Amino acid sequence: MEEKLLKISEAAEILGVSIDTLRRWDESGKLTAIKKEGGTHRYYREKDIEIFASDLFRFASDWISQGAEFPGTFYCPTSSEFQARLVKMERLLMEKPGFEKLYSLIVLIAGEIGDNSFAHNLGKWPDTPGIFFGYDIGKGIIVLADRGLGVLETLRRVRPDLSTHVQAVEVAFTEFLSGRAPEKRGNGLKLVREVVLANPIGLFFISGDAEIHLKGDDKTFRVTRGPNVVRGCMAKINF
Amino acid sequence: MKMKIKLEKFGTTLISRELGSEAFKAFQPTLLELPPNEELEIDFSGILTLSSSWADEFLSPILTQLGERLVLLHSDNLSVQATLKILQEANKRQFKFRYE
Repeated sequence: MEEKLLKISEAAEILGVSIDTLRRWDESGKLTAIKKEGGTHRYYREKDIEIFASDLFRFASDWISQGAEFPGTFYCPTSSEFQARLVKMERLLMEKPGFEKLYSLIVLIAGEIGDNSFAHNLGKWPDTPGIFFGYDIGKGIIVLADRGLGVLETLRRVRPDLSTHVQAVEVAFTEFLSGRAPEKRGNGLKLVREVVLANPIGLFFISGDAEIHLKGDDKTFRVTRGPNVVRGCMAKINF
Repeated sequence: MKMKIKLEKFGTTLISRELGSEAFKAFQPTLLELPPNEELEIDFSGILTLSSSWADEFLSPILTQLGERLVLLHSDNLSVQATLKILQEANKRQFKFRYE
């Protein structure tokens, strides 16, 4: 049986990007189109589009490191849009066998990380406002990212002594900041750390060149210096 | 005597700091009606997810206002439990709990 081919307009609709973007992606080899013999029109295999759209981590990481475009379905420009999509994810997660109770902790982690991006960058977004929010409940993965100020620059307003990304991320995940701080400071990331450490949930978090890997049976909280410096923050949650 | 509120009136997925702060403001007129000798009981039933950011904007200032008169009903929800635990650590103050 011949596989169904999608027209470029149909593929654009599914991915939430423009036809021009798909043409560019074809030329650069990011997402290669098929051309029928002798024709110039671009077509796409449904399966290829599915596989392409499933690489959440790559979309998020290319976006924060190079400002690369990604499928619009993963973009939440405002906090209210994030909230709406989070509720949708919550419903799907509640129905996943084995997650009848655990769902609320996963939504909590994703919610705190996503809300942090909005709360700390409101009115201060360096270029693109909003966040990347993609998930695949079947595979047990959630990816969040923002092109905001990052943890170091945000925390420096209340802790001018901080000089490295590693120090700043360490503080964000472990210390309760003074209530006298001019801005309300969350306890969100402290809670994220506690919940991830105590439950079958993995977390990869990066801001600047600071990285946290919490995965597997032997989870020890440690902030390390990674090879690259990224804009804003990015998190991958596994469950 | 006591006044009882169901938190789910503010929504079942309570996440953002901003919305927690709005909920607190919206609740102020009701709180002002609470006679000085009455307790305020907060019921978490129906809540799917409660974040510490939302709760910090709503419950922390109420705890400051009411102290011992704020009573939280026990909840089985894991996010409610985790959030209340961290708020106690952050505020260095325990909530008063009641089992129903």
